[in-house]
Amino acid sequence: MIKKFIMLFVLTCSLVAYDSTVEIVKRMDRLPKIIFQDASSENMQQGFLQKFHKIIAGDLRVSSHFLVDDTYFKSSFDGNLQENFMSETKSDLILRYQLSFQEDENILAKIKLINAKNGQTDFYKIYQISDTQRYPFLAHKIAVDINAYIGAPDIKWMEQFVIFAKYTDAKQSEIVISDYTLSFQKTVLKGGLNIFPKWANKNQDAFYYTSYNGAKPTLFKVYLSSGKRERVYASDGMIVCSDVSKDGNKLLVTMAPQGQTDIFLYDLTSKKMQKLTQYQGIDVGANFIDDDSRIVFVSDRLGYPNIFAKTIGDSSLEQMVYHGKNNNSLSAIENYIVYSSREKESEFGSGTFNLYLISTQTDFIRQLTASGVNLYPRFADDKETILYIKYLKDQSALGVIRLNANKSYHFPLKVGKIQSIDW
Amino acid sequence: MKKIALAGLTLSLLIFSGCSQKNPEIDMDKSGSTTVSTADQKVSDISGVDANTMHSQNMQNAQNAIESMIANLESKTAKVFFDFDKYVVREDMQPVVATNAQIFNSTDAQAFSIKVEGNSDEWGTDEYNYALGLKRAKSVKDSLVAQGVAGERIMMVSYGESNPTCKESNKTCWAQNRRAEFKLLP
Repeated sequence: MIKKFIMLFVLTCSLVAYDSTVEIVKRMDRLPKIIFQDASSENMQQGFLQKFHKIIAGDLRVSSHFLVDDTYFKSSFDGNLQENFMSETKSDLILRYQLSFQEDENILAKIKLINAKNGQTDFYKIYQISDTQRYPFLAHKIAVDINAYIGAPDIKWMEQFVIFAKYTDAKQSEIVISDYTLSFQKTVLKGGLNIFPKWANKNQDAFYYTSYNGAKPTLFKVYLSSGKRERVYASDGMIVCSDVSKDGNKLLVTMAPQGQTDIFLYDLTSKKMQKLTQYQGIDVGANFIDDDSRIVFVSDRLGYPNIFAKTIGDSSLEQMVYHGKNNNSLSAIENYIVYSSREKESEFGSGTFNLYLISTQTDFIRQLTASGVNLYPRFADDKETILYIKYLKDQSALGVIRLNANKSYHFPLKVGKIQSIDW
Repeated sequence: MKKIALAGLTLSLLIFSGCSQKNPEIDMDKSGSTTVSTADQKVSDISGVDANTMHSQNMQNAQNAIESMIANLESKTAKVFFDFDKYVVREDMQPVVATNAQIFNSTDAQAFSIKVEGNSDEWGTDEYNYALGLKRAKSVKDSLVAQGVAGERIMMVSYGESNPTCKESNKTCWAQNRRAEFKLLP
């Protein structure tokens, strides 16, 4: 029975996955209902167990591949007739976990995925994490594995680190590494104004950022394992690493050596800086597209910020967006571009910035958010998940949009205002 | 003076231990481990300059006099404000620029470089906002040059929305934050 609806679910997903700009209104008949049983010892801190339960339930909900019942059940790990069926919940799956602290602050997690229709354990695994503070990644890892087990589309993006800068005061910011829910946070750089962090590669073992703590804005690269910091380039006015090529060897940089912001391509191997745009106004925020052969960027050459594309080495431009009068930030992956657009020209309107998705292959445009201030979109590698910053009244939050499920989720930052993000 | 400022700024930079590995800590064979970052120490090494021992009392006195002169001149300059999403110097701001140009061309200020800091309001948080701040600084620089201030004395920087003078979320506040302001450098 379970196999049948899983197959139907997977088939439905694969049928609708061909164009993310087409909004999916009804995309699957039935999601497997899952409940959670905590088989941890009563000696474990209840507060910790509750937080773990909240994160793993949240992960499976955000995956959009399960119907999640948030009820917190206690059980034995071996289970009994009642615990292995939980027939009153009418669930399809039971995720049972047992957490225990080991020596050296390790956490050991034993999990079982039980078919609630026949009481059989379908999936069993043991995990260990060596730093208690990183328990959110333990939950994410379990969620990724459970999701993979039922054959649903990959959600490995949940395991990615998010890096963001947050303002703490005037000309003061910190760079923080977190998980996508902000449950885990570690400040990796503080003191002065350090902004626009950008992962240097897919392994996420180094990042670029702009420092305003010297005579000129300076782009640095920091290696996380050693803490080594390298100066990459400096420029009067501003310098930002907007994107990194797939091989990690080239950077798209916004720079203004003469006070004019233009887009440059920096080759890390040859140390050569090549100017890609030349315009007296504002050109910023370039992203590689089409296998790194073209770039898409924001320019005000029409009198307002809008999205343009050009082939590297070619002077001609292509206007990519014919909607909105203030489209000032974007993210691109292969053929898809997501951008933020101010809905009203005045700053006094409410519901100001929304996110839109377009494809370089079609004329469709899909609105992703309906209200509020939604900025700084960033694609995950799966092309189906977008992370963005949502500004609330006195707070900012990380937002996650699941394109195929047409759902979004918010994770508020309790202190500080997010300046920029990457993942 | 610059050296002291740079040393101080460098000393203020702290890099904490990073997250070196992600997946290796979640594994089946219990072999995962955390590599402890040595970033704190390395950055301390880079900035291992004791600024306090570098200067004699005489130099300190001279610096105090320069700082005092700079503070006096900076207090006479006025901020240049901009319209929403614009970087053209407004007509009503032209006299402000002219007055600032007179100050920068005065005998007392001739020896100093001028840093024009462009700023934007909180609307937008990304590169475009920083670029907008920079264009504002550039417009002001061009106006100052037109008023006879030597271009090579002027450097520009954008702080985007990171340096608000007013932190409330209303029309008046946003207008105050869309500005260019001035710092003198020895």
